[in-house]
Amino acid sequence: MNRRRTLFSVLVVLAIAFPYIVPDSTFWVTNGGTRTLWIGLVALSMAYLNRNLGLMSLGQLFFSGMTSYTIAILTIKHGVSYGISIPLGLIVGTLSGVIIGWIALKTEAVYFLMLSLALALGLYSLTLAGESVTGGHTGINSVAPPKIFGIDITARNTFYYLCLIINILIFAACLRLQNSNFGLALNGIRDNSARTTSLGYSNNKLRLAAFVWASFIASVGGVIGLFYYQAVSPDSVGLARSIDLLIVVVVGGASYLGGSYLGAAVIAVFESIIQDYTKYYVAAEGALFILILLIAPQGLMGIGEQMRKRRNKKLASAASTK
Amino acid sequence: MPLWERRAVSQFVFTLLNGVTLAGVFFLVASGLTLIFGLMRVINLAHGGYYLFAAYFSWTIMDKVHNWALGALISAIFMAVAGTIIYIILLRRFQYEELRVALITLGISLILQQLMLALFGGDAYQISVPTPLRGVVAIPGVEVNFPKFKLIFFLFAIVIGLGLWLLISKTKFGSIIRAGVDDTMMVSALGIDVQKVFTLVIALGCALVGFAGAVGGTYIAYGMGTDGDFLLFSLQVVIIGGLGSVGGAALGSLIVGVVGQLATGYAPTLSGAIVFILMILVLAFRPQGILGRKL
Repeated sequence: MNRRRTLFSVLVVLAIAFPYIVPDSTFWVTNGGTRTLWIGLVALSMAYLNRNLGLMSLGQLFFSGMTSYTIAILTIKHGVSYGISIPLGLIVGTLSGVIIGWIALKTEAVYFLMLSLALALGLYSLTLAGESVTGGHTGINSVAPPKIFGIDITARNTFYYLCLIINILIFAACLRLQNSNFGLALNGIRDNSARTTSLGYSNNKLRLAAFVWASFIASVGGVIGLFYYQAVSPDSVGLARSIDLLIVVVVGGASYLGGSYLGAAVIAVFESIIQDYTKYYVAAEGALFILILLIAPQGLMGIGEQMRKRRNKKLASAASTK
Repeated sequence: MPLWERRAVSQFVFTLLNGVTLAGVFFLVASGLTLIFGLMRVINLAHGGYYLFAAYFSWTIMDKVHNWALGALISAIFMAVAGTIIYIILLRRFQYEELRVALITLGISLILQQLMLALFGGDAYQISVPTPLRGVVAIPGVEVNFPKFKLIFFLFAIVIGLGLWLLISKTKFGSIIRAGVDDTMMVSALGIDVQKVFTLVIALGCALVGFAGAVGGTYIAYGMGTDGDFLLFSLQVVIIGGLGSVGGAALGSLIVGVVGQLATGYAPTLSGAIVFILMILVLAFRPQGILGRKL
C-alpha cells in the first residue's frame, strides 16, 4: 500500500511538471497531456463499472454526449451562461444515468455490452436526425471557452492543470469509494449476489448508485471533451469513439482504475508514432487491441499479476509431479 | 373517397410496404447474428462490418460476371469461408469467454472498416437491380406502384426464414443445435462433435450475412458508416425480438423496419428516437426480448 502511495505521488509530481519537461510542449501538452486526462476520465468511468460491477460498458459516451449537447445547446444556441448550463449539463448526464441504469442493470455480460453500445449508437442517430436542435451532422461548433475572472480556462496550460485537478479529485474519490463499506458491498454483490442479499443488502440500489457515479464521471468527461474540441457532433458519441475508449481501457487493463490513464497515455504515444508510418493507423490500433486481448487480457496493468500467476502455476505443477 | 384521402391511403400503404420489405433485409442480416448467439452465446460485433464487406464484395463480383444471382452466391460462399477462418484463428480458443470474444470482434470490425476504406473509398455504392426484377407491381385497390425487386427480396427473406425454421425444428442437425443451446457439455458427451457443429453454424451465419450484403446492397445505398448503422439495426432487432431465436429475429425485424419507416415517413425528426424508445421500453419490461427465453 505504501509503495502504491509513493508511486501515486511520483506520478502526480510528474504530471504537474509535465508541461515544463516535455519536448515540443505546444503539441504534447494538448495532444498528449490534456487529451490523456480527458480520455482517461471517460475510460475511468468504464473501468470503475468493470471493476466494481463486473460490467463492460460501451455506452459511457452516451452520458458524456448528453452533457456536452445540453451545455452546447443551452449556451451556444440560447445564450444561457456557462454558470448555469454546465451544472445543468452535469445534472442531465447524471440523471440519465439513473434511468438508463435502472433498465440496463437488468441485463448482464454480453447483453449489457450490446445494450450499452446500442445506447451510444442510438444517441448518435438521434443527434444526427434532430438537426434543428443539435445541428445535425456538423453538430455545434465554435463553442466559446468559459472565462473565470477574465481568465480563459481553455488556454493550453490552464486547461491542462484544470483537467489534472479534476482528474485527481475524481480518481481519489473512486479509490475512497472502493475502500468504503459501499465499495466492499459492491465487491460482495459482484462475487456472490445471493449471499449479499441474504445479508440484507439491497443489491439493486447499490449497483444503481455505482452506475450513477460512473455516469457522473462520464458527464464530467463530457464537459472536458466539449471544451477540448470546442465543438460537439454526432461523431463525439459515434461507434468509432466508443471503440477508441474501449481500446484504451483494455490496453491499460480493464479491472484497474489506473489502467485508464496508462491506456490513454500509451494510445496517445502509439497514435503519434504510427501516424508517421501509415494513414491506416486505426487498423493498427485494432490489431494492437486484438493482440492485447489474445496475450494479456488483463491489459498492461495486469501483466505483472498474470506472470506471477503463471509462475505459481508452474511451481505448483512442478511440485505436484515430484 | 376524395382525392386527398386516396393519396393519404396510398402513401401509407407505400410506406408500410417499404417498412415490411426493409424488414426482410434486416432479418437476413440479424438471423446470422442470432443463430450464432443462440448456440454459442457468442456475439459478433463485427456483423455490421461483415454486412458492408459483403455488399462491396458482391458489387465487385457482379461488376465482373454481370449476374446478380451468381454474385450473391459467391458472396455468401466467400463470407462463409472467411468468417469461418476468422473464427478458427481468432475466436475458437476463447469461445467460452463471451466478453473476450465480443471485444475481439470489435477489434476485427475496426480493421475491416479501414480495409474497406482503403479498397473502396468513402463514396456511396448501390448494386443495380437485376433486369428481370426491374419495374413495378400495381397493388390492387390502393393505387400504389411498388418496386418489384423489393417484393421479390422480401420473398427471399421469407423463404430463408422458413428454411431456417425447418432446419432448426425438423432436422437432426437442428435438434443437435437446439440441444446444444441448452447444454453443450451433454451434447458432446453423447458423442457429437460439438466443435464441428459450432463451425457449421458459424459458416451458415456468415453465409447469411454474405447473401444479405448482396440483397441489402441492392435495396439501399451503402458506404462508409453503413457498418455502424447495420450493427445498430441488428442489435435493435435482436434486443427487441429476443436474442438467440429465429422467430424473435423475424418479429424484431418487422418492428424495427415498419416502425422505423413509418416514423421516417410521418415524423422524420423523431424517427431515430422512436425505435430507440421502443427498444428501451422492451428492455424495461422484458429484458430478454419479446420472444427471447429467460436469460
